[in-house]
Amino acid sequence: MVPLTAYLVLSAILFAIGLWGALTRKNAILVLVSIEIMINAASLNFIAFWCYGKFTDISAQLFVLFGIAIAGAEAAVGLALVIAIFRFNKSVNVEEITSLKG
Amino acid sequence: MTLAQLGFLVVATLTLAGALAAVTLRNLTHAVLSLILFFFGVAGLFFLLRADFIGVVQILIYVGAIAVLIVFAIVLTRQRIGLEDFKQIGGAWWMGAFTAALVGGILIEIIRHSPEVAIFKVRSPVGSVQEIGQALMTDYVLPFEIISILLTAALIGAVVIAMEEIQNPRKEKR
Repeated sequence: MVPLTAYLVLSAILFAIGLWGALTRKNAILVLVSIEIMINAASLNFIAFWCYGKFTDISAQLFVLFGIAIAGAEAAVGLALVIAIFRFNKSVNVEEITSLKG
Repeated sequence: MTLAQLGFLVVATLTLAGALAAVTLRNLTHAVLSLILFFFGVAGLFFLLRADFIGVVQILIYVGAIAVLIVFAIVLTRQRIGLEDFKQIGGAWWMGAFTAALVGGILIEIIRHSPEVAIFKVRSPVGSVQEIGQALMTDYVLPFEIISILLTAALIGAVVIAMEEIQNPRKEKR
């Protein structure tokens, strides 16, 4: 039997890895990739508590479902922004995108 | 070690390896492919936690749609060199790692010091999708409708943002 804390610690480590990637990567697309890793870690936490908990309702799965939908919408709009910025700046390097003009 | 523990160890190792590779690799395409491995690993963990519907939704949406979207964005933002590097300004690499380690450490300390209230209940897999459907239509119908509006707005917004400007020729002379 796998203990609940194993899933929670795994989710915390995945969240920290995603946070490191979001703070460190220079390519704007890889920052969005790291944000997806963080959202997945939080969803894992939800489902772990749903499986091991005392409560019998289905709310955690619905939370995760809506979270996945929101993550998809955020990825779509974020990547559209990256494409539009690339068209103007010719670069997706977050250090070179320094002005809001355009 | 039981089979369940062995399965959890294998899937968790794959997931961790995928996440570490996705935030570490210099090649952009390799990072996205390891992200796909990470998504499959998380779906495997959902199956181990008896959330079958969410596991399938994870594969369908994350691997089938979001990963493909990221690959398309990489194709559309091709720079001269396909490689990328860590931040090189000052000590930013170490500061990012320190912040992430701090957050992870605080979370793990909270997990270790919280009381053990976990009860593993054997959940029947048959009623899972039915329960989700019923909850979506009765208790959670308002978030359901709002999510559909949000997705429509995101769809239209993404198309509008990424569209080429063709009706204003003065902007292209910059």
